[in-house]
Amino acid sequence: MTDVQQSRIAAGAMTADTAFRVRMRRLFGVLQGMASNPATVIGLVIIALMLVMAIFAPWLLEPNSPDPYQMPRDWGAVRKPPGTPGHPLGTTNEGGDVLYGVIWGSRTSLQLSLMVVGSTMIVGTIVGSIAGLVGGWVDEVLMRLVDVFLSIPELIFALAIAAVLGPSFGNIILALAVVLWVKYARIMRAQVLQIKQHDFVDAARVIGDSKLNIYLRDILPNAVTPVTVQATLDMGNVVLIGATLSFIGLSEAGIAEWGVLVSEGQAGIASGRWWASTFPGLMIFLWALAFNLVGDGLRDALDPRTEGR
Amino acid sequence: MRAAVAPQADDLILSVREVKKHYPIREGALQRVVGHVRAVDGVSFDIRRGETVGLVGESGCGKTTLGRVIAALADPTDGGVHYSMDGEMRRIDRLEGKAAQTFRRNCQMVFQDSFASLNPRHLVIDLVGRPLKVYNEAASADLVERVVELLEQVGLGRQHLFRYPHQFSGGQRQRISIARALALNPEIIVLDEPTSALDVSVQAQILNLLNDLQKERNLAYLFVTHDLSVVRHMADRLVVMYLGKVAEAGETQAIFDSPHHPYTRELMAAKPDLEAEANVEIRGLEGTVPDPARPPQGCRFHTRCELATSACGWEIDDIVRWLEDAPGMFEHLVGVERTSEFAAELAFDNEEAAGLLSMAVRSEQVPEAMRAAMRRLNLDGTKVEIEFEDVGEVELTVRDDGRMAACVLTPEEVASWKNS
Amino acid sequence: MLDERHCAAPVASVRDLKVYFQSKRGIVHAVDGVSFDIRDGETLGLVGETGCGKSVTGRSFLRLLPVPPCILAGGSVTFHTHVVCKACAGVGCEACDGTGRQAGRDRSVDLLGISSEDMRRIRGDRIAMIFQDPGKALNPTLPIGAQIAEVFLQHRTEELIALAGLPPDTVGAIRRFASQSPRFGDGWLLSLPGPRRAQRLRVEESLAKMVADALAETQVPNPGKLMARYPHELSGGMRQRVMIAQALACNPDLLIADEPTTALDVTVEARILELIRNLQQRRKTSVLYISHDLSLVRRISDRVAVMYAGRIVEIGTTAEVFANPRHPYTRGLMAAVPGADTPRGKLAAIRGTVPELVDPPTACRFAGRCPHETGTCRSNDPVLEAITPSQSVACFIDHPAQSGERPTYERVTK
Ligand SMILES: Nc1ncnc2c1ncn2[C@@H]1O[C@H](COP(=O)(O)OP(=O)(O)OP(=O)(O)O)[C@@H](O)[C@H]1O
Ligand SMILES: Nc1ncnc2c1ncn2[C@@H]1O[C@H](COP(=O)(O)OP(=O)(O)O)[C@@H](O)[C@H]1O
Ligand code: SF4
Ligand code: SF4
Ligand SMILES: [Mg+2]
Ligand SMILES: [Mg+2]
Ligand SMILES: [Zn+2]
Repeated sequence: MTDVQQSRIAAGAMTADTAFRVRMRRLFGVLQGMASNPATVIGLVIIALMLVMAIFAPWLLEPNSPDPYQMPRDWGAVRKPPGTPGHPLGTTNEGGDVLYGVIWGSRTSLQLSLMVVGSTMIVGTIVGSIAGLVGGWVDEVLMRLVDVFLSIPELIFALAIAAVLGPSFGNIILALAVVLWVKYARIMRAQVLQIKQHDFVDAARVIGDSKLNIYLRDILPNAVTPVTVQATLDMGNVVLIGATLSFIGLSEAGIAEWGVLVSEGQAGIASGRWWASTFPGLMIFLWALAFNLVGDGLRDALDPRTEGR
Repeated sequence: MRAAVAPQADDLILSVREVKKHYPIREGALQRVVGHVRAVDGVSFDIRRGETVGLVGESGCGKTTLGRVIAALADPTDGGVHYSMDGEMRRIDRLEGKAAQTFRRNCQMVFQDSFASLNPRHLVIDLVGRPLKVYNEAASADLVERVVELLEQVGLGRQHLFRYPHQFSGGQRQRISIARALALNPEIIVLDEPTSALDVSVQAQILNLLNDLQKERNLAYLFVTHDLSVVRHMADRLVVMYLGKVAEAGETQAIFDSPHHPYTRELMAAKPDLEAEANVEIRGLEGTVPDPARPPQGCRFHTRCELATSACGWEIDDIVRWLEDAPGMFEHLVGVERTSEFAAELAFDNEEAAGLLSMAVRSEQVPEAMRAAMRRLNLDGTKVEIEFEDVGEVELTVRDDGRMAACVLTPEEVASWKNS
Repeated sequence: MLDERHCAAPVASVRDLKVYFQSKRGIVHAVDGVSFDIRDGETLGLVGETGCGKSVTGRSFLRLLPVPPCILAGGSVTFHTHVVCKACAGVGCEACDGTGRQAGRDRSVDLLGISSEDMRRIRGDRIAMIFQDPGKALNPTLPIGAQIAEVFLQHRTEELIALAGLPPDTVGAIRRFASQSPRFGDGWLLSLPGPRRAQRLRVEESLAKMVADALAETQVPNPGKLMARYPHELSGGMRQRVMIAQALACNPDLLIADEPTTALDVTVEARILELIRNLQQRRKTSVLYISHDLSLVRRISDRVAVMYAGRIVEIGTTAEVFANPRHPYTRGLMAAVPGADTPRGKLAAIRGTVPELVDPPTACRFAGRCPHETGTCRSNDPVLEAITPSQSVACFIDHPAQSGERPTYERVTK
């Protein structure tokens, strides 16, 4: 190998490395922007704690067998207030440990929000992109469909679907996914239409790059910001709506899920047994709050007017 | 631009023939097409190897649209752009496969807004290296060297490889755009107001750079701008556009020495040089550019032309436009019944207003040329019948000195007005 | 040109003005020790590249700067208000010694020190401003007429009442009404049928007349009709005319024009320039005309100030500065404009770009881009000093530093 060749290879390695470093620095800048906002930091801390709780649930509390996502039943300690030995947050009517529900419920909630947000984001992005890129009657048909979905209030729509499918946790996920994808399609289409107008798309066309490449390299990366922000916000909102559906009894009875716990515990509030619904309720509130704080912070940090520099 | 002489394919690169680009205007819930914006409305000219053709005109006259049609970013509504390939002229919108690729590589474009034309999420190496990647001309280490080479040609360097567009000044960003346009070693570059967002000092750097590159690579430029001093400095030949049409075309120097079209003259009078006498009179144009969806008849410039004659296409629209600003009449106008663009019956709600109008159009209140163009004027109670001479479109014609202008006046007549 | 009598009295004096901005990278010295006078009745042109601090200077007259990032770090902007001579309405007669101003009624205020209430009284009345983008400066939801009427309601209440033939005790109600903070019942009273309603109609009638007069001043066709239109219905040139009408409605002493024609076509630009020039001469308004276009500034201004990196580097009469530019930056700017005989590709560009204004070192700001610089320029800061009675320059070529090598033009030109 000649010297020239060697130095060229070195240069190639160097560039890949430098480009990576520069991109990381930009990402770091976004994180820094988020870190400089106290509200966002609070949100991030709450989310981190929730995640820790969800991941380490089996170590924190022994899983119920056979199904750890079912509430354990301790018929010997029914309706005990917080502070009872073995049940620091009290127990439910059926002797379920509230602390167990709170901790294992975080897994259920995470599962719910990840599945709903993940699927709706992918479907919405694809549909919105197709509508925005292809245009014409395809756009027309897709957007009318979206309009129909959007004309029905989210909660009522989800409720109707879940009611038709029958009470189960899986059906709640399905109902929410069916209802929520339209939001992403809407956002994505608007973004695509707007970015398509940008000169840099024309610049790519002048070079002769393929349509797919232009979509993947120019349009999509510039469109993801609002989608990401919406997804973050939805991570919280989904749990709220899910809880509402559970509350009305559209979920499975007896599973370790915050909404179900609130629902089952609310009857006791009148008789002074506040704990069975308050603690899971607090968790729902914190979860939604945390993701909303982070979502807002992310929006600010990704704002092109403040980004970089 | 010598339409009389058949274009010789050996030094021609592009030949623009009767290009039209109309954008539909849609209205209502059903998005029905209610009219067309005639952004470009029949433009022809040629571009030869190694030369710079300047394209000037007011904003909205169709310069960018024409540039986009030439760069194949938009399809013409009518007419076409022909590209010289293997000794024959071929229409670019009919090219396919390999031939389309050849054209694509050989015709590049630099945009006015350097910030908007660079993807904010790409590094300089991605931006400038992208054309090379698209055609698999270089990869990895080789790519870096090629990009550095290109950057050095436009006065940037290796240290700029890994930066984002927002980390550069406007002038530097425009250099990046130029480097990207050069990557495929094109024959022609469409430059759409490449310096109008820049300061004069930076503009001078970019203009010098463009000139050096042109000499080195025998590039042809289509230089779109609204700045006459820039175009005089850069262009070998000039095309002056007004409302989607060519008003005048020819050698730059000759046009600057003696413009054959009143519009060109007005453009020059509006912005005297820094070198001109300090007290030269500046003169602007009356009114605004008319709506390109309803261009004036005859000569499109007649609504603003001080030299307009009776043969310049006076029409009913001119009367209506004049009425709009005439107090005491427009309020009473109840209907305009057109029989053609040149004849109509105007109905008022009282006889006084009708009488007022028929008096006014006979008086000094309207241009003399307009009065002269009137074939008929009938006052009948509350109705006024008006008919103008029916005039065809004023076409671009070759003048004695081989230059072209679209004006009914001779070059001498235009020149004598200049001196008065 | 102006005679000596006018030249003696400045309408505004800027002294050592420093305006900084907080940014992530540090303190940006956007305007860093700028001093100049705007003389009564003159047009002062302010030129320079982007980011040199022209707009910030202009905006500090009216304190139109966002205060958290902006720091008014020092200096003063003294404004001398005048009272227009009653006998000749500003044209100039014997009673006022031809100045058009009533003698002995002048008042000086520091625009940076006064309360925001006082500032609001001056804004739009004594000092007006027009901007590059009239679309942004005009309210899109209000018809043109209403926007100009607002100015009269704010600043010309007495005149308005007198014109409408109303008793002077209505002034309070109308002014409060205009300032959008009507006392409980004001608006209600004015809209009531009966005598109050008649009063309101008379006020509206007089207002319409004042607005139409103001618009007619800017040579728009059919002002009565224009009043009912909305900004978006007008072309750029027309919008700019409306903004000028609004700015000049109250006959201000000083007009700050921040690139008012940059967004317009040359043909329209020429008309607007003509208009500003005419109105300025007729009303003896002083104008601070900000632009980056040398040939334009040369045509409109009596004196020019050239700004570079937060400093004024050269100031003088237009004729002198253009005939004999002394500062290398001024020379560079002029040479960069393509002329009729400049050989292609041989434009004299100024190398580099305007430096970042974060913590500038003690050195000539132009060092690094200047073809004439020496070591002296990199360690000393030249100040603006007079070279003739009417031209001042901040460069060591004309005012050598105590020590070190003196820069010359010859070294490069030979
Ligand atoms: N996509 C479009 N849809 C509808 N009308 C359009 C479109 N693009 C351009 N036009 C219209 O075509 C005319 C010419 O536009 P163009 O952008 O080519 O003008 P221009 O000479 O480049 O002006 P400027 O100097 O302001 O850029 C204008 O009236 C414009 O409104
Ligand atoms: N709101 C602001 N925040 C931070 N910096 C600003 C702001 N406005 C102006 N600046 C800075 O002040 C300097 C001068 O700006 P400006 O007066 O607008 O320039 P010009 O008018 O000459 O184009 C620039 O460096 C600019 O970045
Ligand atoms: S034809 Fe010539 S003279 Fe007549 S309006 Fe047009 S430009 Fe003016
Ligand atoms: S002081 Fe020196 S660097 Fe500054 S402008 Fe004068 S010669 Fe140039
Ligand atoms: Mg354009
Ligand atoms: Mg500015
Ligand atoms: Zn007087």
